[in-house]
Amino acid sequence: MERNIALIAVFAALVAALGLLPPLMLASGIPVTAQSLGVMLCGTVLGARRGGLAVLLFVALVALGLPLLSGGRGGLGVFASPTAGFVVGFPIAAFATGFVMERLSRMNIGVAAGLASVLGGIVVLYIIGMLGFMLVLSKGPVETLMILGVYIPGDLIKAVLAGVITAGLARARPQSVLSRS
Amino acid sequence: MISLTSPVETRAHRWPAAVKLGALAMATVGLFTLQDVLLHAGCLVAVLLVYLLPGQVFFRAGLGRLRGLWIFAVLIIGWHLVTSDLVAGVVIACRMATAVALANLVTMTTRLSDMMAVVRWLLAPLRPLGVKTARVELAMALVIRFTPVLALKGQMLTQAWRARSRRRPGWRILVPFAVLAIDDAERVAEALRARGGV
Amino acid sequence: MKDMSRQHTVISLEDLSFVADGKPVLSDLTFDLTERRIGIVGRNGTGKTTLARMISGLVAPTAGRVRINGSDVARDRRAALREVGILFQNPDHQIIFPTVEEEIAFGLQQAGQSPAQVQSGVAEILARFDKSHWAQAAIHQLSQGQRQLVCLMSVLAMTPSVIVLDEPFAGLDIPTTLQLTRVLDSVAATLVLITHDPVHLRRYDRVLWLDDGQAVQDGAAAVVLDAFTARMQQIGDGDDLSDLAG
Repeated sequence: MERNIALIAVFAALVAALGLLPPLMLASGIPVTAQSLGVMLCGTVLGARRGGLAVLLFVALVALGLPLLSGGRGGLGVFASPTAGFVVGFPIAAFATGFVMERLSRMNIGVAAGLASVLGGIVVLYIIGMLGFMLVLSKGPVETLMILGVYIPGDLIKAVLAGVITAGLARARPQSVLSRS
Repeated sequence: MISLTSPVETRAHRWPAAVKLGALAMATVGLFTLQDVLLHAGCLVAVLLVYLLPGQVFFRAGLGRLRGLWIFAVLIIGWHLVTSDLVAGVVIACRMATAVALANLVTMTTRLSDMMAVVRWLLAPLRPLGVKTARVELAMALVIRFTPVLALKGQMLTQAWRARSRRRPGWRILVPFAVLAIDDAERVAEALRARGGV
Repeated sequence: MKDMSRQHTVISLEDLSFVADGKPVLSDLTFDLTERRIGIVGRNGTGKTTLARMISGLVAPTAGRVRINGSDVARDRRAALREVGILFQNPDHQIIFPTVEEEIAFGLQQAGQSPAQVQSGVAEILARFDKSHWAQAAIHQLSQGQRQLVCLMSVLAMTPSVIVLDEPFAGLDIPTTLQLTRVLDSVAATLVLITHDPVHLRRYDRVLWLDDGQAVQDGAAAVVLDAFTARMQQIGDGDDLSDLAG
């Protein structure tokens, strides 16, 4: 039990800390913020329930007024802004990522984590994120996708990274990759 | 951990957090039912005037937190200019700005401890169902404790990268970073157990 | 191997100051350091680690500058990577890659060496420490002392003129400390060793005693360390554990 709470809390802190790091450079020279990558990792490493709870904890602290979103954003205003759906969708995306991850327990861990991240961290997250965007800005789904679609390539790269990093963690700390135990 | 509560002490700091949150919820719903462009512009001006009440410092801090919205405002108004429906665009942009400004107002005038009290109150009904709500508070405290610790370790790793490279840190520091986080978690778990567990 | 023939390495601190969160961490340090073995001693929290990062150019000073052999290390990062390397206090905060080989290769790759050069550089440094069998080893299976040695080899492979060591012996047992000391003695580069423990600086050429971001004393190791030790014992007899900073 202590271990569950500690892992959930530390992964919530990890998602926050990833938002505080300066943007990382990809090989192609594109800077990316690693926060949504953190959401994927919560699912691929901790599994559905614990991963979802870790990100829920993170989002709750953002709502309470801590500046934990990348760029130091936070507070209730986040939940009224056009990107609110993405923040609300974070815990659900982590849960979905973990859910898929647990279903793919016989697949190579890196591939499974990448695939789970695409389904949970991109497909599920974008559905909820787009709903929020459509609600706040009164746009239709096609227009919304046209605006938000520019971020999808970056997120696909993050899903690949989530796979690589999860595989790396499974080598370095196998007993801590709870989605596989 | 620095919270977004304004250090400028306002009268609203002393109002009950639950009341402010309830009022915010109703105001936000109200904004979505309004359709008239003049009313929306009026609401936005009124909120900005409220920001001015505690003084210049508060006003500037408040405006600073709305800065991220301008890109969406430009996008929406530009879009509606193209579809020659400018009024609707202005309504949407005003509504968005007012809703975010109101929500930020609550955050800026409510201390973290008061917000935590509301969370405790909201969780109370779950207690008879067997949910150990003290664990939620423990977990929140741990996140607040460990975010700066991990941020510092991340900074160390980026420095370790920069000590050997002119380029910006790449994704490769993320594996050791996550390993450090996991090791921290295992140590915290031990420390919790050593002091009687949860 | 590093050229011993090179002119004296000069580390110049010029009116160096650093302010964090409104509080001064380092104030107006001005020194020309030309000795080959330089010690910086002081209590925990007196700005030693900040100074280490500034000498390596990782943190830009609030005012003043650090030059090594004439290059401003905070501004000219290309020169800094050539002139100075740093060994962090905790190897886990420094090691980025999963295997020894990759960790050592990284700095060389970043310096623009060809794959063949990188490979021979890695092999050479491993052979020098008689650790060629470590190449493929997974870093997380090494002991703390072994990881510290990997960090040192990674720095040495880049052949900087100065190596900054921030409490390198923290957490090492006595045999490992002795081994690391022996390894450091064999290094040709200028060493700047930062520590709270005067024992490690006895044989150094010059020692700076830092307190509250200012230099208390500067000079020959024996003189400064005796004064430092006497003062530390005096403080230890009192009770300043109860004082809160700021």
